[in-house]
Amino acid sequence: MKGEALRVACLLLVCAASSATAQESRFTYAGDVSATVGSADPGFFNYTDYEHSALRMLRIDLSGAWHTNEHVSFLGEVRTENFDEIEPYAAYVRIRPWKDRDFDIQAGRVPPTFGGFARRTYATDNPLIGYPLAYQYLTSIRPDSLPATAAELVRKKGLGWEDVFSIGSQVRDRGVPLVSAFRWDTGVQVHAATHDKMFAATASITTGTVSNPLFKDDNSGRQLAGRFETRPVVGLVIGVSGARGPFVTSDAARAAVGDGHESDLTQTAWGVDVEYSRDHYLVRLESIASDWTLPLVRQPFLQLPLRAVSTSVEGRYKIAPGFYVAARIDHLGFSDVDPGTGATPWDAPVSRLEMGGGVSIQRNLLLKLVYQYNTRDGGPLDHTAHQSAAQLVFWF
Amino acid sequence: MKSLLLLVALGSLAVAPRAARNGTIRGRVELRHQPAPIERRPGVADLGGNAPLDVQNLLRSVVYLESAPRSAFDTESEGHAVMDQRNETFVPHVLAITTGTTVDFPNSDKFYHNVFSLSKTKRFDLGRYAAGNSKAVKFDRAGIVRVFCDIHSHMNAYILVFSHPFFAITDDEGRYHIDNVPPGTYNVVAWHEGASADPKPVTVPEGGTAELDFAIK
Repeated sequence: MKGEALRVACLLLVCAASSATAQESRFTYAGDVSATVGSADPGFFNYTDYEHSALRMLRIDLSGAWHTNEHVSFLGEVRTENFDEIEPYAAYVRIRPWKDRDFDIQAGRVPPTFGGFARRTYATDNPLIGYPLAYQYLTSIRPDSLPATAAELVRKKGLGWEDVFSIGSQVRDRGVPLVSAFRWDTGVQVHAATHDKMFAATASITTGTVSNPLFKDDNSGRQLAGRFETRPVVGLVIGVSGARGPFVTSDAARAAVGDGHESDLTQTAWGVDVEYSRDHYLVRLESIASDWTLPLVRQPFLQLPLRAVSTSVEGRYKIAPGFYVAARIDHLGFSDVDPGTGATPWDAPVSRLEMGGGVSIQRNLLLKLVYQYNTRDGGPLDHTAHQSAAQLVFWF
Repeated sequence: MKSLLLLVALGSLAVAPRAARNGTIRGRVELRHQPAPIERRPGVADLGGNAPLDVQNLLRSVVYLESAPRSAFDTESEGHAVMDQRNETFVPHVLAITTGTTVDFPNSDKFYHNVFSLSKTKRFDLGRYAAGNSKAVKFDRAGIVRVFCDIHSHMNAYILVFSHPFFAITDDEGRYHIDNVPPGTYNVVAWHEGASADPKPVTVPEGGTAELDFAIK
C-alpha cells in the first residue's frame, strides 16, 4: 500500500487506538479448516496456479475482530493453503461514524466490493467444492506479460495455469481469472444501507483490479468499484456490480508501448447476481462480463477489448436435517480475435457441471462429496474431465 | 450430562400416596464461571458492520429431579411453548418443557431465520421463513436439544425435554423452586449450558419445603 491509502490507514489506526476504551473493547475470533481430496486434474480445470488445485487442498483460515468501541473495529484474517505460507488475506479497520446508521468506512486489505460469490468463498458458504469459473478459472492473460500479436495470444489457449508471453516478464506464472476469489484488494471502501436493508451500496478505490487484487500497486492507477444491492422481498437479493482500473503493470506497459499508456490498459468488469431462498431451497445466478484492454503491439492485432463472459446457476436443497444436495452449471466464453487464420475465441471456452451434496456430521463438521464434469473447446490439454472430490469442513 | 437428562427410569422411585400433601424444593444455583457472551463470528468478509446483539441472560440454570414419582408419567403434556427469534437471538436462551410439548419458533426479525437441530433427541430443520411466520416442532422424547440457526451461526439455544414436570428454571439471581413434589427422597440435578452439578439427594416432607443449593463450576 502506498501514498494516500497508507496515510488514510495510519490516520484511522491512530484514531481508533485513541478512542478505544477497556470497558467496550472485545475480541472475537473464528476459524475454518477445509481438507479436500479429489481426482487428478491433468486438464488444469480447477487449478488456481501451477501447484494448487481447488480439488486437492488443505486450507486453514483464522479470522479475528477487535471491536475497540462501537465505532471502530479492526478485522483480519490469515490463511494458508497446503501449509505453503501464511498469507494476510484481510487486514482492515472498520469505522462506523454513527452507531445507529448502516454506514461504514473500511480501509486496508478490504473485502471485495464486486460480485456476489467473492465474499462467500469459505468452504462453509460454498455448497459445493469447486468454485464458479469466473472466480477460479485462469484465463491465459497476465498483467505483467503481454502477447505481441493475436496469434501469440491464441497459441496460449487453455494454458492459464502457467504461461508467459513475449513482452514483459519472462517468468512463467499463472494467468488471471475474471475475478479473483483468492486474494483481496487494498484500499478504502464505503458501505451504506437503508435501515431496513432493502437497499445497500458499496464503493471502493483500490490498488489492483478484480482479476488481480494487490497489496502493493504495480501501476500508477487505482481501481474504482461499486456495488448496489436490493432486497425487494425477504429471501430475494439482487446485486449489480461494476469495476474499472488499470490492469497492466507499468513495466509491461512500458515494454509494449512506452510510457504514458498504462491508464488506458484497463480491466472493466460488470456483474449481476441474484439469490432467492425459501424453505429448504436456495438458488443463485451470477453473470460477469470482463473487458481487458491490452496494448496493440504488432499485427495481427488483438481485437479489443478482450472480453470474457461467465454465467453460473447454483442451487441447493435440504432433503433432511443435516443433508443437502446441490448443483452448479457454469459457462465461461471469450470474444473473438483474428490471428490471421479467421476469427476464434482468444481463450478456450469452458463449461462445468458440478453436483453433489453434504452431510453435517455435527453442527460444525461437514462432509461434502461432488462430481464435476468439465469441457474445454480448445487448447493442447484434455478437453474433457470427469472429476470427483470429497471435502471435510470444520469451523469454530 | 445427557445421561443425566435421559431421565427417569419408570421404576425408580418412591411412590407417594396420592392423598399425601405435596411439598416444594427450593434453593439457589451458584455459577462459579462466567458464561461467555454470545458473539457473532468476526464477519471479516462483510461489507459493513452489524447492529449489536441484544444482551442475553445466560445465567439461568435448570434444576430437575433425576428421578420422579411414577404418577408423573401418567399423562403426556399437549402444551405449547414459544422460542422467539429476535434480533438474531433465540429468546429464551434456555427452555424447559415436558415431552409432548409443541414449541413454536416465530420469526420476529425482518430477515430469514432457519431453525434446526442435529441433536439425537430431536433432529429437525424448519427451513427459511420470514418475519411474522412461525413453525412448530413437537418434542416427544426426553433429552437435551441444541437449537441453532443455519443462517446466523452465533444463534444458539437449549431446549431441555423432561418426561416429568418436576423441574424449574432459575431466576436472575439463581433462585428456583420446584412445586407440587410428592413427599419422598429424590436426587436433584442442576444444569447450566452443558455443565451440571453432581446430583444431590433431598427429602421432601409432606406439605413442607426442602432447601437445596448447588454450585456449578
